[in-house]
Parts: sequence; structure tokens; C-alpha cells
Amino acid sequence: MNINNNNPITQPYSYPPNNQTYDDEEKVYQLLLDLTSVKDREHALLELSKKREAYQDLAPILWHSFGIMSALIQEIIAVYPMLSVGLSSHASNRVCNALALLQCVASHGETRSLFLNAHIPLFLYPFLNTTSKTRPFEYLRLTSLGVIGALVKNDNSDVINFLLSTEIIPLCLRIMETGSELSKTVAIFIVQKILLDDMGLNYICQTYERFYAVGTVLSNMVTQLQSQHSIRLLKHIIRCYLRLSDNSRAREALRQCLPEPLRDATFSQLLKDDATTKRCLATLLVNLSEN
Amino acid sequence: SALSSTSTTFNTTQGGSSGEDVSIGYPNLVNFLTFNASLPIFQAQPSLKRIVHFAIDRAIREIINPVVERSVTIAGIATRELVVKDFALEPDENKMRKAAHLMVQSLSGSLASVTSREPLRMSMTQHLRTLFSQNGISEQAIPEQAIFILVADNLELACSVVEKSASEKAIAEIDEGLAHNFLNRRKHRERTGQPYYDFAIYSSSRYPSTLPESLRLKPNGLALQQLRVYEDFARLPRIVAQEQTFAEENVPLQTAQAVDKFTQFLIE
Repeated sequence: MNINNNNPITQPYSYPPNNQTYDDEEKVYQLLLDLTSVKDREHALLELSKKREAYQDLAPILWHSFGIMSALIQEIIAVYPMLSVGLSSHASNRVCNALALLQCVASHGETRSLFLNAHIPLFLYPFLNTTSKTRPFEYLRLTSLGVIGALVKNDNSDVINFLLSTEIIPLCLRIMETGSELSKTVAIFIVQKILLDDMGLNYICQTYERFYAVGTVLSNMVTQLQSQHSIRLLKHIIRCYLRLSDNSRAREALRQCLPEPLRDATFSQLLKDDATTKRCLATLLVNLSEN
Repeated sequence: SALSSTSTTFNTTQGGSSGEDVSIGYPNLVNFLTFNASLPIFQAQPSLKRIVHFAIDRAIREIINPVVERSVTIAGIATRELVVKDFALEPDENKMRKAAHLMVQSLSGSLASVTSREPLRMSMTQHLRTLFSQNGISEQAIPEQAIFILVADNLELACSVVEKSASEKAIAEIDEGLAHNFLNRRKHRERTGQPYYDFAIYSSSRYPSTLPESLRLKPNGLALQQLRVYEDFARLPRIVAQEQTFAEENVPLQTAQAVDKFTQFLIE
């Protein structure tokens, strides 16, 4: 295990430092064991989700230790009955700590495909399907999107293949229209990653309905951006359009329906310090102007 | 079905087409429906309860198959993958089967219930509206607000039917999915008497054998304490509620109680 906290300045009372490392490891093992016990789980979830960055191989340990993955799924489904009656901040925080550990498993190269093979991402979809705007729900959706985001981050076509067999695109599209700015950003990041994959681009451009669904949401986002400036979202939107323009049929359609604010100077102020995105937009417009 | 005759007492056809399905899929549902005290019309005209029964029955039948199929498939895959990994050194296929059953029932039921809720709400509302209007019941007699209350009061019940169906089907799914894992254990025991060892799983990565002692699987199988994780699937809140008894049978049931009673009834 990679333990980063044997720094004598931040840990002045630990001597010799190796003992501190050893004690810390033992503490983490105990917390991991505690995840499988109903009565100790909540505390262990909180502690481990805080420490998760410090341990490089936390994900394989979570996966391969007895019962931990099953315990984490238990945490997920225990929240389902609350989705229709209201979610307390306490319940939301607790399940989000469990989701943070699942995000570890989704990010790690050694466990990602195991996580996919077990279809565990699908247990998060009921969370993405909620519409309540209260904080506990926003936080739950954002954290769940984070798990999917961690899956797509590494440009793995197995991940894209899996996601295309599920209803993730409509779920992301709805969040892109109605979510908080942060949720929108993660949702469009996922759609962008799907588009960047050849299979994903083909899938979305395969029928007019799919293209239209994505195009409509992107165009609505552009409209929203005129009043609520977000450079972060604008970057993703432009990249999505640019990628769509790689497909000949989508390019043809975009010639008609690219939102006007992307053609005129509406966003030039917002983009003035972002040369890369400006170049993307210029390329997009060139792609659409050629015949 | 024996009950189809009862449905001829009111008009159940949609758009006047003949040959419409007028059978009832869940005849016992009628005993568990909730009619709110704020809707006295159902006390005054008990025959209206049949319309409600029919509408809810139809809504359930409309959505149940795809929801159950999807939930059972996903729950079956997740359970199989995790149980095979966790029981890699467990020689007793009965322990493995028991854990798999508890998990797959809980996962499939939970998924089915959460997935069916909104579709059921919409479908129940739609069918109630249509059937009331086809039977000449005016909006003054049963306004939109009353339909809203009927749906809210009986939604949990409808979800529980879908949940129960998924839980039941999931057992067969996982037994099939794990059949060769069960068989391998039995054969291994009969042939060798040596500790069991799922080579494919245990040597799939360096981790299973290099985990810290306290987290590593032990030869000769799992401790009772460890199996509790799987038993906990049966202790999730919803299922605990079913174990409650009802001291005062004459008191009108709360929605949750009606659901529990109905679920019990389905199990019996």
C-alpha cells in the first residue's frame, strides 16, 4: 500500500515513522473489514471515502476482499425505497460515500472490467433517473454520474460498448437539460466520451431520432448559456458538435441546425482566453461550410 | 379465468373495440386495495371498486414483463459475478446457493420495484381515467384529485406485485447461472475430499492471494460471521416490515401494511 502520511512534520508524534505506516495500514484493513458489518459500516464508509486517494490499490482490495462489493450494493438498493418518499441528507451522504468507493473500483485498471462484467453500474441508474432538485438528490445524481464518468475517462471501448447497451444516453441528456451546472458538466463529459469513440459516434448518428435527441439537448444548452455563462459547459458543447461533424450525415444535418450563437460572436468574450476551444469552434464551422 | 365474468358487469373495452382482454391477472388484489376515507363514493357504490381493481390489474400486466425480465437479468449477473468470487474457496455448494438466493432475490426485487414505480403510476392513472369515463362516471363523482389519491394509496401494492414476481423468477435464473459451480463443488468433494479451490477465480489476479490476512479468503471456506453479509440482504428495511404482525385486524390497514399483508399472501 502506498501510504503518504509518514511525513514527520504532519505526523510529529510518530516515531519511528514505519510504525505509523504499519498502524495506519492495520487501521485501513480494519475499516475494510468493518464494511461487511451492518453496525460498523457507516463509520467505515465515511473514513474510507476520505482516505481513498491515499491508497493506490484500494480498488483491487475492495473488489477481492470477501463481501465488500456485496455490502456496497446493499447500500445502493437500501436507498431505492427512499427515492419516492424523499431522501435525507444523512442517507444521501451515506450512499454517496459508498458510491465514492465504487468510483475507485470503476477508475482502477485492474477492477474496471470486473465492475462492468458484474453490471454494477446499472444499479446506479435509478439514482440518475430521479428528478427532485433538492440537495440530497442533486448530490446523489452528481456522485452517481461521477462513477460513470470514472468508467469512461480512460477511452476504453469495452466501457462504451457496455454503456451503449444501456439507457445511459437518455439519462445523461435529461441531466444535461435540467441538472445543476456540475451535474450537467459530468453528464456532457460522459456523452462527449461516448461520441469520441467511433462506435459511440456511429450509434448516435445511426438514426435520426438519436441524433435529434442529442442535437436538441445541445442546442437547448447553448440557449441557456446565453444567460448563464459557463466556459466549462461551452467547451464540452463545442467539442460534442465538433465530433458530431465528423459523421457525414450529422454534418449535413448540422449545416441546418447548428445554433446561431455558435456561428456569430455571441460567445467570443467567454472564449477569449481559451485558444484551444476557439480553435475547435473554428474547425467546426469550417467542417460545416465545406461542400 | 373464473373471475372474468365479474368484469362483464362494467364496460372494460377501450375505444369500443370488441375482443378486448377482460380477464383479471391478479384476482386477489381486490382484497388489498386501499380506499381512502376521503373518497366516500366507494363505500356508497362498492361496485366501483371493481373498476379500480381492473385498472390496477391492467396497469400491472402492461408493465410487469419487461421490468421483471430486465431486473432478473441484471440481478442475476451481479449476483453470479460476486458470489463466484466470494465463494472461490468455499467447498459447500449449499452455503453458496443460500447466499446467492438471498442476494439475487433482494437485488431483483429492489430493481423491479424502483423501476416499475413511475410507469405504474402513469399507467394506473391512465386506466382509471379511461375506465371511469367509459362507465359513465362523471368527473364530478370522481375528480382528478380522487384518481390521484387512489393511485397514491395503491401504488406500493402494485409495485409489490412486480417486486415479488422478480424475486421469484430470480431464483431460477441464478440456479441456472451457478449450476456448474454447484456441481463442481459436489464432484470435487466426492472425488477428492481436498479443500475446494476455484482456480479460474483465485488465480485471475495476484490480489486474492496477497490480500492482508484479515481480508483474505481462507482454505476450507467461509466463517459464519462472513456469511452474515449475504444474510443481511434479507434484513433490508422492506423485508423486515413483512415480519410485523397485525394485532388489530379490524383497523383499516395503512398502505404499507396492506402491501406487507399482500406480499405475505403471495408467499403463502
